[in-house]
Parts: sequence; structure tokens; C-alpha cells
Amino acid sequence: MKADARRLSVHVPMIVLSLLAVFPVWWMVVTSLKPENEIFSTRLWPASPSLENYAYVLDAIPMIRILWNTFAMAAATATAQVLTGLCAAYALTRWRFRGASVAQGLIALSWLVPFQLTMIPNYVLATQLGLLNTIAGLVIPNAAAAFAVLVLTNAMRSFPKDLIDAARMDGAGHFRVLCEVVVPNLRAPLASLGVLVFISAWNEYFWPLLLTRRIEDTVVQIGLQMFMTQEGNQWGALMAAATLASLPILLLYLVLHRQIIESFMRSGIR
Amino acid sequence: MVQTFDITNAMPGRATARRVVLQPWVYLAPTLATLVVWIYWPLIEALYLSFFQWNMLPTATPRYVGLDNYANLLTLPEMRRAAWNTVLYILGLLPLSVVLPTAVAMLTQDLSAPFRNLYRSLIFIPMIIAPIVAAVLWRWLLNDDHGLVNAVLETVGLSPVGFLKDPSIALWTLVWITGWKLIGFATLLLSAANGSIDPGYVEAARMDGATRWQVIRDIRLPLLSPTILLLTMMTILFGAQWSFVYINALTGGGPLQSTTNVFYLMWDYGFQSYSAGWSATAGILTFAGFGVIAVLCLWLMRRFAVHEG
Repeated sequence: MKADARRLSVHVPMIVLSLLAVFPVWWMVVTSLKPENEIFSTRLWPASPSLENYAYVLDAIPMIRILWNTFAMAAATATAQVLTGLCAAYALTRWRFRGASVAQGLIALSWLVPFQLTMIPNYVLATQLGLLNTIAGLVIPNAAAAFAVLVLTNAMRSFPKDLIDAARMDGAGHFRVLCEVVVPNLRAPLASLGVLVFISAWNEYFWPLLLTRRIEDTVVQIGLQMFMTQEGNQWGALMAAATLASLPILLLYLVLHRQIIESFMRSGIR
Repeated sequence: MVQTFDITNAMPGRATARRVVLQPWVYLAPTLATLVVWIYWPLIEALYLSFFQWNMLPTATPRYVGLDNYANLLTLPEMRRAAWNTVLYILGLLPLSVVLPTAVAMLTQDLSAPFRNLYRSLIFIPMIIAPIVAAVLWRWLLNDDHGLVNAVLETVGLSPVGFLKDPSIALWTLVWITGWKLIGFATLLLSAANGSIDPGYVEAARMDGATRWQVIRDIRLPLLSPTILLLTMMTILFGAQWSFVYINALTGGGPLQSTTNVFYLMWDYGFQSYSAGWSATAGILTFAGFGVIAVLCLWLMRRFAVHEG
């Protein structure tokens, strides 16, 4: 009896938390599949599921285009952050040089600066450079991040120095060492960083909010907000749009959930 | 002087030495350039802007006003309201991002592996859901007329709640949505830390006749303190920023300014009322405030965190 109660007390909090986490997402998907006459019913699965809400969304906004923009932006941001992070981490772990701690400090402190503080100068600069309503404009300011550098610096600290030295003795230049020795051996941390940056870039809200004003040039988060402002009470359609916006990330999570959780936890919040 | 770890560069010679001094900077250049152009230089520009009045039109020249922006903002009730709400957001988030996860981590420490992995994958999901998607789906769940939550409240005989319309509730609704994304993640972080505690300590305490509660209080909590303090610090420093999306998407700071906070105020001054000077001033004040808090937090962490061994 007592053992059973103990076991139950272990499961109950987790079941409650799991329901709390999953149910809203479930409800979003269910609502998106409900035909118009069922929208206000509280059934947990539509009596006659239909895709009419999805058809409506695809008709009302250029959703495919928006999803493609988002994919391009997230993939480019992830690639850029991994590459710049790789170079910076190599410099910080490979050499001891004057100014290294200043560089490290500049990198580490940058994520304390709230975006709302730098948004006006950034917006002005982006406008002057003609980056408004472009994917490049969304990527360039995020091409490097403290977070990527920190993660890769940690990964490289534990990298066997003998391997690098051996390659150097063979006369390989630093860039070749980086490409041919370090990268192949750091595949796992590089990939998990890439996925992490991809997800957070996909979910990025603030900078696209400033930078993109036309719905065909925007990313899915802002597209969803524009759709909500336009058709705020078309619940079925709104949930269909929200489902489409999250589907790529949810699919990625379905395949890689263990690695994604691991890398989020290893690198803290953000 | 420069020190390198490889033999080829250890031989003295002016040319090699200079190349070594330059080389790290070449590799650091893309990162540093991005951070300087898009974060540090704008930070200085924001400081500069805070002494000016400017409506953000390229044709208008900013007008120097000295410390007027600071004087005005510090006496503005709107700013005081936003600052107080910022405190409320942070205080409201702490139970969701620290207290509750700690409790759950303690309660569920003996979960067997298959269950643990299932729960892990489920409770982590909100963390990867985009904030704006979270905003949209909670807006639907909490809708006044047709939302599921109010439907349930009505079936059990309670009157419906205006989750986003009632000025005394709206802020807490936004706190909940912000926290919803964090609970699972914080729980996993604390469970992992809890799981890595050396069972020897717990065993030894049990042998000495310690009760379950004493083990938690005297062994687990102190050993978890680095993680608990880290989550607390993250919530204090970033909690109010995380809620920005929900304010902007769901309430616009209302009803009756009840959900605004300093980060929303900066946005509002900047891109709604186009007073760049005020926005920059609010930004500098906030940044300075949080800077002081960050230093305090780091000091506290170093002082009070108990490290194993």
C-alpha cells in the first residue's frame, strides 16, 4: 500500500506537468482540424475532421512563401553562427595573446544588452544599408552570437591538443587544421549547436517585427501575428496557421528530441 | 608577450611573432565585428540619443536636450507603473521557473528510466514552441466567450474570467504564459542536477537516521543551490524581456496600462510614438538598473552557492 502511494506520488506531478505542457498544443491541432460548425464544441477530437481551415490559411496569406523565408533565415543564421563561433572559439583556445580576455569579455557581456535598447540605432542602420524587408537583413545582425562562441569554446577546451600539434608538425596551416582536424572531431557539438540556433532563429520575433513590414517578405512568427490582427476571431484558421508555424520544429523535435533536450540543457536558457 | 602552444611558432623571429599576434584577431574578426556593429556601437548611440529629442524621421535633426529626458522620465507616472510591473513580472515568474520545478524535481527523483524519458520529452515541448504560437494558443484557450478554460469554469459553476481584459488579472495571465514555456525546462535542469548528486551523501545521512525532509533540506537543496541560483538569476535578468512578446501580441500594455513593463515602454516610445530620445533614455535606465542587479546576483552566487566536494 505504502509503496504504491509512494510510486503514485512520484508520477502525479510529472503527469500533471506533461498534460499542462502538451494539452494546449494538442488543443491547437484539434481546433485547426474542426470544421466551422464544430469550432465551439469542447470535444477532444473533431467529429468530422477537415482540412478546410488549412485551405483557408493558404488562400488568405502566402504561407508557403513565408515558411520558406523562415527556413532560409533560420538555416542561414545557424550556419553563420556555427562558422563565426568556430573561428572565434579556435582563436580563444588555440592562442594565448594580449587582449584575449578583453575579447572574451566583449563576447560574453553582449547577451546582457537588451534588444530594446539597441533597436533604434539598429533599425536606422538596417534602413541605411537597404536591409528592410530582406532575409539578409534578418540574418546579418545575428551572424555571430556570444552563445555559440561559449558553447564551442567549451567543446574545444576538451579537444585533445596532441591531434592539433601533430597536424601542425606536418606543416598544416591553422585554417587547414581547423577544417580537417577540429571540425570532423567536433561534429556532434557542432550539429547540436546548429539545431539549437536553427530552432531559436525559427522562433525569433523581435528583429523580424521591426524589419519586415510586408507579409510576403516576413517570417512565420510575424506572419502569424499579422494574421491574428486581421482575422483574430477565426479560431479554426488561426490555429491552422499556428500549427503550420510550429510543424517544422515539432517534426524536428520528434526525430531529435533527445539531442535537442540535451543541448538545450547543456547550454542553459536562451 | 605572445605565447603559443606549438613548436613551429616558438622560435623567436619578428615575422612569426607579428603573425601570431595578428592571427587570433583574424579568427575573432567576424564575431567581434558583428557584436560591435550591431550591439556595442548601437549601445553607445543609444546613450547618445538619450540626451536628444528626435522623432526618428531621417529628415529631422535630433535636438540636444541635456538631461531633460532623464528628468522627465523619472517623474513620469507611466514609467513608475512600468517599473513596478517589471518587478511584478519577475516575482510572478519565480514560482513557475524556480519554486515549482524544484519541488517537482524533489518529488520525482526516483522515477525509473523509461518513464523519465517519456515525461522529459513531453514537458520540454513548450520550450520549443514559438512565443507567438504560445500567445495565439493561450489567447484561444483563455478566450472570454468560447475559450475552453472559461467553458470548464462555467460547468463547475464559476463565473467566466476576463483573463486578458480584467486589469487586475491580465498581468498574471501574461506571467502564466511566459512561465508555461519555462516550467518544463527548469524542471529538467533541476532533475538533472538532482540526479547527479552523489548517492553516498544521501546514504550516509540516512544511516545517521535523517528523515526524507532532512535529506532534502540539508543535502539536496544546498547541493542544488548553484542550479537554483542560476535559474533565479536568469529569471530576474530576462523574465521581463521574455514577456515582451505576449504584451505586444496580446494586450498592447493594456487594459489601463496594467500589463506594460519597461521593455514594452521602450518599444512603445520608440516605434509607436516615435520619440527615440525617450525610448533610449528608458533603455539606458533599465540597462543600468539590470546591470547593478546582475553584479549583485553574481556576487550572491559566488557567496552562497554550495559546491560539491
